Amino acid sequence: MSVQIVMDRSGDTRHEFDAVDANAVALAESRFNELTGKGFRAVALGRDGGGSDRVVSRFDPNVEETLFIPQLQGG
Amino acid sequence: MDRLHRVLRALLRGALVEHGANAPSLVDIVVETGAEPRIWAEFANGYRASAPLRPDDCFAFCDAHAAWNLATLRSALRQEALQVYLVMRREHQLDRVRNQRTWVSEQMRRLGRGIAHSLRARRTHLIEDPNVGWFLDDRTSAAHQRGIRLLKENLSPAQLEQYERHAFFEVSGSTTGRRYRIRYGRSMNIDQLDKTGRRVCGWCFFPKGNLVAGDVMLAQKLAIELFEADALKSANKIW
Repeated sequence: MSVQIVMDRSGDTRHEFDAVDANAVALAESRFNELTGKGFRAVALGRDGGGSDRVVSRFDPNVEETLFIPQLQGG
Repeated sequence: MDRLHRVLRALLRGALVEHGANAPSLVDIVVETGAEPRIWAEFANGYRASAPLRPDDCFAFCDAHAAWNLATLRSALRQEALQVYLVMRREHQLDRVRNQRTWVSEQMRRLGRGIAHSLRARRTHLIEDPNVGWFLDDRTSAAHQRGIRLLKENLSPAQLEQYERHAFFEVSGSTTGRRYRIRYGRSMNIDQLDKTGRRVCGWCFFPKGNLVAGDVMLAQKLAIELFEADALKSANKIW
């Protein structure tokens, strides 16, 4: 199972999908495009604390965990 | 209580209810004869009230006061009414004070409940973090803890150890290789360090959306480690 983690006011919202389920993948891709279109950054998490984290600009169903970070602003 | 007393009290109560604290003095009681006899109560401020009077109503009173003609009945009624009115006015004033006290105590009770409620509500927003102790979080504790859990899951072992001990962790910039220290917080919490670990300046940037502290710190970490230049473009520098 893959998961898309979206940061929000509740902490985060997780959307799990099965990478072999075409419908679920299509839905996940649509979510990816919608969020990145709104300015979210998608980061593929490596779960090793940073060494293999990478920014992804295109949807990849094989990424196990994708974290969506809202647009940054200066304070 | 005989029926005439009940009629008298009803007339006098009308004056008390109508005029409240400024209840007028009772001046006279008048018995109006005719086809439909009435009893009138007249007060100092001109207020008058009347009620039908049936012969049956008077019998017990007349018997008790030996008032067998109109003048004697009127005089006896007046005396009786003055005494009854005196007692009723006193009771009315006591009731008013009692009601005022009740109102005040009710308001105080509500105020107390309101304060207790607001404190209870805040109590649920008090978060205990091993690094910073108790603090008031403006989000729900569940959100806060989810954010902290997500952060901890994505820190390197060294960063996690630093965070657990000091409530901050260090990251390296992806473009410049500079060292940054991210302190617990949601804004104004990034220090740029020199090679010896001394603070050079501060940076302030965070993700939009009023996120919880854990999410903010994770976003700051990933931004510096993965797209430092872009992140600093949107940041404000603090000296």
